[in-house]
Amino acid sequence: MDAFLAQLWIARWPIFDGFLMTLGISAGAIVFGTILGCIVGIQLVFAPLWLRLPFRAYVDIMRGTPLLVLILAAFYIPAVLGLSLSAAHAGTLALGLFAGAHIGELLRGSLQAIPPGQIEAGRSIGLTFPQILANVLLPQALRISLPPWINTGVELIKGSSLLSMIGVGELLLKTQEVIGRNFMTIQFYVFAGVLYLVVNIALDLLGKSMERRLGARQ
Amino acid sequence: MTTTDTARPLLDIRGLRKNFGAVEILKGVDLSLRPKDVVSIIGSSGSGKTTLLRCVNLLEEFQGGDIILDGETIGYKTVGGKRVRLRDAELSRQRAMTGMVFQSFNLFPHLTAAGNVMLGLRKVKKLGKEEAFVIAEKWLNRVGLGARLEHYPSQLSGGQQQRVAIARALAMNPKLVLLDEVTSALDPELVQEVLTTIKSIADDGATLLIVTHEMRFAREVSSRIVFMEQGRIAEEGTPAEIFGEGRSQRLNEFLKSSRH
Amino acid sequence: MNYTLHFGAVWASFDHLLGGLAIGLALAVAAVAVGTVLGLLSAFASVSKSRLLRGISGTYVLLIRNIPLLVLVLLVYFALPATGIRLDKYESFIGSLALYAGAYLTEVFRAGLLSVPKGIVEAGRAIGLTRMQTNLSVVMPVMLRNSLPSLGNTFIGMFKDSSIAAAIAIPELTFEARKINVDTFRVVETWTVASGLYIAACFTIAALLRRLERRFPKF
Repeated sequence: MDAFLAQLWIARWPIFDGFLMTLGISAGAIVFGTILGCIVGIQLVFAPLWLRLPFRAYVDIMRGTPLLVLILAAFYIPAVLGLSLSAAHAGTLALGLFAGAHIGELLRGSLQAIPPGQIEAGRSIGLTFPQILANVLLPQALRISLPPWINTGVELIKGSSLLSMIGVGELLLKTQEVIGRNFMTIQFYVFAGVLYLVVNIALDLLGKSMERRLGARQ
Repeated sequence: MTTTDTARPLLDIRGLRKNFGAVEILKGVDLSLRPKDVVSIIGSSGSGKTTLLRCVNLLEEFQGGDIILDGETIGYKTVGGKRVRLRDAELSRQRAMTGMVFQSFNLFPHLTAAGNVMLGLRKVKKLGKEEAFVIAEKWLNRVGLGARLEHYPSQLSGGQQQRVAIARALAMNPKLVLLDEVTSALDPELVQEVLTTIKSIADDGATLLIVTHEMRFAREVSSRIVFMEQGRIAEEGTPAEIFGEGRSQRLNEFLKSSRH
Repeated sequence: MNYTLHFGAVWASFDHLLGGLAIGLALAVAAVAVGTVLGLLSAFASVSKSRLLRGISGTYVLLIRNIPLLVLVLLVYFALPATGIRLDKYESFIGSLALYAGAYLTEVFRAGLLSVPKGIVEAGRAIGLTRMQTNLSVVMPVMLRNSLPSLGNTFIGMFKDSSIAAAIAIPELTFEARKINVDTFRVVETWTVASGLYIAACFTIAALLRRLERRFPKF
């Protein structure tokens, strides 16, 4: 244990950097994914069929493809198309596209769970459709979506570990580099696991408390 | 009456007490059934009648008193002056001596009518498949469902389901059959077929302990009626005594309120 | 943006991709089979009266669900040998994925168990079945049928997660695709075909599961 603590002290900054990178990438992906997901979710419910189809295809492709394949594709494809994207950006893009599909599908479910009478009620007091969306539908749908949205955040933090495979210096890659120097395989993998665990459990608790508070209000 | 009076009771409940936490459900119930007795328990909801039935089938634990079934004290034993619940295998053996028919049928949804009847025969009585099937067929015929052997519960009407449940209970050849408000969950037009079935098994000499809201049926089928109130037996007598003139004020009130 | 599509190089290695797909499916089948046993035990533990069993089940689910699968895979593959347990990469990956599947299936089966009506359990007890017999003959069949859709989704999830086996050089679909990508530089084509294969497989599995569900009526 002492030997591990000594090594941990030596490796504290790389691991801290990796940890921050993991949080940063996940945060970037959830922001991107949420904006994308809102657009997708609204289109899936309200767009005319011809416009709905491409969004449906996007969601199904993202949900039918393993996240690792999305990450590798995002890493390799831009370069041959003449775009220069760092590994971290490519990875964040892949995670964000993945999250966008999941959040879009989530929001679709929530929007469809709202009784159609709500739209009619909005119309009857003279609101335009964008006004109904902004003031009636989205506030309700977002509330329903909140707990699973938090869960998407947990999935992104876990998924960000896959970026180690394209050389992004997040927590797992930094951990592997540290292990490469001191060969304390079990200790450092477990330590990384504990860090993921702590963040995810904290998020999970946050989600549960939100769920309770929202549940109490309804 | 003299010969049956001296016969050993089939079911002897003595001072049965049961509570859920601080709430007393049964406050010392004494009840005794001789073989071939048909006893109906009536009373308003919350009087403890269903709980009493469930205690007899050991589906509920109870805190005091004894239940003696065919000479055997069931559910608990006394070890070194302390009352302990019997082991699961013992409880199962004792439960198999009584049959229970539930208000909500509780058929096994993944098994056919025949499969429902056969399960206990196969697993508890350890009969072979064919032997069990013959018995299942016999009992399903007996309740008028010989043509529905391979139907799943979801393909049967409520009345048919309840008749399968009756066949399932009787096929185990129980010493005593417990019927818990077996028509309460049925549409009115399906009640009669189930009551007719019960009447006919009563006529065959089965020993029945019935909880029911059907006063006319209770009067018709029972050898004795028990009126429960607030966890106690308030009145007990023949149908003529209970439903006839000269009954007590509170029984009168209950009967008036239950007629609608 | 002067990239013209040439699928020829990818078709030339298409049998490798199909072989990789088969390996991925086999990994998922094995992991879900073992994971089902783990999940059943853990689900029954989670609804048991014993605090200890509930605690073990809860801790298992909490730990596994909040750690990235890749970390678990690497830990089992690289760290287990240090404790004297030697597994080849297939065994080690199937073990990791099974642990992962087991945690998800715990929740699937737990929900299934809670959905079994209390009445039919009592009916089983009333005809004299022991607790164990009731669990096997009444609770399990009903619970498994009710869990079938979620079980199917978990299987599809685990099949997609089998791509992570590429990290320890198991030649499944993602590993093969990456190899073709590096060998031929037909980047867009490779990942389009690989993704297409995954999607086709997922949709096929989902369709088969829907047929299976129709075969057994819902209770």
